[in-house]
Amino acid sequence: MVTDLTNQAAAPPAAIQIANLSFAYHAKPALRDITLDLPTHQITALIGTSGSGKSTLLRCCNRINERIAGAHITAGSIHIHGIDINRPDIDLQELRRRVGMVFQKYNPFPKSIFENVVFSLRLSGVRKRSELDEAAERALHAAALWGEVKDRLDTSALGLSGGQQQRLCIARAIASQPDILLMDEPCAALDPIATLKIEELLHQLKQQFTIIIATHNMAQATRCADHTAFLYLGKLIEFAPTIQLFNTPHHPQTLAYVTGSFG
Amino acid sequence: MPQTDQVPHRFSKHGFSLEKAIRFFFASNAGLTIVILLLIIAFLLKEGLGFFPGYRRELQVYRIAGLEFVDLSRSNLSAHEQLASVLNRAYFAEINGLCTRELKRSQEAAALFNAFSDRSSATRELLVSNLGAGAEAHPDLLATLRKNHAASIHQALAALPATPHLTSAERADLLQSIATRDVTATDDPPLVASLAQQYAAAQQQQSVPLARLRETIDAFEAAGADLSVLVSDMTATVTATKEAIQNADILNKGRASLLAAAGHAKDPATRERLLTDARRSLAANPDIDAPMQALMLHKPVCCAAHTALRQACATILEQLPPTLSQPEAQRLLRAARSATGPFLANLANTPQRISEWRHDQPVPLSAAIGSFLTGKDWVTGGEWQDFYGILPLLVGSLMISLVALCLAIPAGVGAAIYINQFASLMEQAIVKPVIEFIQAVPSVVLGFIGILVFGSVLRDISQLDALAWVPGFPIEERLNIFTAGCLLALMSIPTIFSLAEDALNNVPAAYAEASDALGASRLQTSFRVIIPAAFSGILAAVLLGLGRVIGETMVVLLVAGNRIKIPDFSSGIGAFLQPSHTLTGIIAQELGEVPLGSVHYQALFVVGILLFAIVLGINATAHQFISRPRN
Ligand SMILES: Nc1ncnc2c1ncn2[C@@H]1O[C@H](COP(=O)(O)OP(=O)(O)OP(=O)(O)O)[C@@H](O)[C@H]1O
Ligand SMILES: [Mg+2]
Repeated sequence: MVTDLTNQAAAPPAAIQIANLSFAYHAKPALRDITLDLPTHQITALIGTSGSGKSTLLRCCNRINERIAGAHITAGSIHIHGIDINRPDIDLQELRRRVGMVFQKYNPFPKSIFENVVFSLRLSGVRKRSELDEAAERALHAAALWGEVKDRLDTSALGLSGGQQQRLCIARAIASQPDILLMDEPCAALDPIATLKIEELLHQLKQQFTIIIATHNMAQATRCADHTAFLYLGKLIEFAPTIQLFNTPHHPQTLAYVTGSFG
Repeated sequence: MPQTDQVPHRFSKHGFSLEKAIRFFFASNAGLTIVILLLIIAFLLKEGLGFFPGYRRELQVYRIAGLEFVDLSRSNLSAHEQLASVLNRAYFAEINGLCTRELKRSQEAAALFNAFSDRSSATRELLVSNLGAGAEAHPDLLATLRKNHAASIHQALAALPATPHLTSAERADLLQSIATRDVTATDDPPLVASLAQQYAAAQQQQSVPLARLRETIDAFEAAGADLSVLVSDMTATVTATKEAIQNADILNKGRASLLAAAGHAKDPATRERLLTDARRSLAANPDIDAPMQALMLHKPVCCAAHTALRQACATILEQLPPTLSQPEAQRLLRAARSATGPFLANLANTPQRISEWRHDQPVPLSAAIGSFLTGKDWVTGGEWQDFYGILPLLVGSLMISLVALCLAIPAGVGAAIYINQFASLMEQAIVKPVIEFIQAVPSVVLGFIGILVFGSVLRDISQLDALAWVPGFPIEERLNIFTAGCLLALMSIPTIFSLAEDALNNVPAAYAEASDALGASRLQTSFRVIIPAAFSGILAAVLLGLGRVIGETMVVLLVAGNRIKIPDFSSGIGAFLQPSHTLTGIIAQELGEVPLGSVHYQALFVVGILLFAIVLGINATAHQFISRPRN
């Protein structure tokens, strides 16, 4: 069983390589023939209309889509650090520990702030209090939440504000030190100030993680992302450095979308 | 009136609205339910609250008639009898233990023969009665009857109980003698008789070395004779006084109601008639002082009898052997020893209590309340004195509930967790309806399944030699706390299961998804996220199950054994295998028979109020948990 996805001698520069990926819910295709290389330690934004398959693509990268009955890959592959994540001998839990995910609607557990952050460590059997404390502090610092919650770590996570809860979810996702962070519209439920905080956070997190972020907010994509992919009806229309995609799109559909005259 | 009000404008209402009518219909239904609930509470309180003054009067009569005084001696007398009976049981347990083999062999042979007789007696009696008719009986009829009897013998022989302690030759011999038995024979088969003889001989033989123990026990029993005579003497006097007081009470009550009626009567003639009636029913004040003085003369005799009894018992009990060889006998001996201390201490301080006792000490209302809440006796309809102490009922209810919950919580919650978290769709489709179906079984049906199947099987199992080490085994009573608890567990499993399953279902799917995305296994997600998140809901499910268990009536009435006595905890966990009565059972059992408005009737209402309060409290707590925000 492949448990270590990090140290591959011949690791290519791309953290995630998606090749000719097609995906369907039951018989209903949601992704068609997508080929995409997502560069390491950069932020890639996925944009596109509602239903274009952004979430589906993200959720293929940690195979969380398998929770849905009937959802399956119909063709193609995804390699993370050179390893095909759909190989039958993949340790799914280890994969998900290496590929963290943040959801659109913040969803901290009904536990204390501390327990939320160290959840993944507890899963892997860490018991030592000092180790847990250290990891919690590191993750909360990285999620820019430490200052706000350091005095109330033992209070319920549900008592935090929406923006704080979302940052707590980020802290929870990065506590086990993954390589890749999948973010599905992480700011959709937040106000502009909280959104700004998270965007600032993304820039810092970029040092350590490869980030993929699905977003409806094109301004957000221009502010944060190094690369942007435009999806439409399950197809990848265009993938380019952000500035290029927004200023000089190659494809007429991309142009229509980024200028807002799509229809 | 301004015009604008009458001219319909764009937004004006139409006169009749269906919506309003529907709304009213549902609102009135809800209102009615609440009103009925309040009426029930009011009714319970009205009927029940008269209890405490009534009970207080009964306790007063108990005192002024001198029954309480007699009970001071009587309680010692019954403690003495109990101790004697424990010693006797120890004695026989020792003997029987020493001749177990003979006992078992004799019992088995007799059981086999009895089983045979039971099964073949119907045809046999028919045949015998027709044979007795002599020549009148038609030979054809006799032939048919004989044939029937032969068939039933054949059937009976096919299904006879096992006899592990008889040799196969003996069994064959016994079967042979049974099969070839003359129809008119009434004596036991030779083997049964000879085994009984052997048993008696063995008993005889084993009792020789125990002769000293026998003497000690006999001496102990004889020591109580004086006190016993004294008590029965006093009993006669005090019961007469009590009856006089009670009759006077009844007359006075009748008179009071006549006077009240006269006060209300408008017609002067009726009024006059009522008044004369009232005057006529004026009770002669019963003479209580003379009998009381006579009773008080007994004081020194009573004291002397107690002192004598104490001395006699102390010396006699010293002579008990230190140990007995059979475990059961040894246990009983130990029980007798531990009862000895309190028994002698009571005997020692009774003379003082006797001389301090006063018949004119008032009985406060709090004494009645205290006697109700902490009384160890629930005695009703007796000739002596009624007591309404709920402790035995409450303890019974609680013990049964404890058994039920101990079984139902793991089963119900476990099933809910399994079905909700791990089961395949197919398993869900089968298990859920089946568990919910249990709820549809009428409790009276469960009750007789409990009696006939479960209780009997349990008792048979408990009689296996290999299980004799289990505390409380062999079970004496087929109907006991444990059987009732098991059935109630069965009844409460659907409640706990459904509500716990709902609670698990209500945990937002986002939690499970987040947990999975963090790399949790299936088991980790269930036990670290979902179940903790549903915990308060599961707790509420358990509490509602408890409410159901405490309030359940039919099953406990049928299966709990209905013995109004606090179980004997000296046998440890075996106390759960004793019969008991419950708060619900007592109401169901007695309410139909009590005279309307009597103190007993009111006492049952107070039990009802208590039950109502308990269940209400449990449900309120459960709802607290249900509505509590998750955190
Ligand atoms: N659980 C599901 N079962 C069946 N079909 C689904 C499921 N989830 C998504 N789909 C379908 O897959 C397609 C892509 O959906 P997806 O959620 O990936 O779009 P999206 O780009 O994330 O949209 P949005 O911007 O609204 O979040 C849609 O047509 C959707 O109807
Ligand atoms: Mg989406």
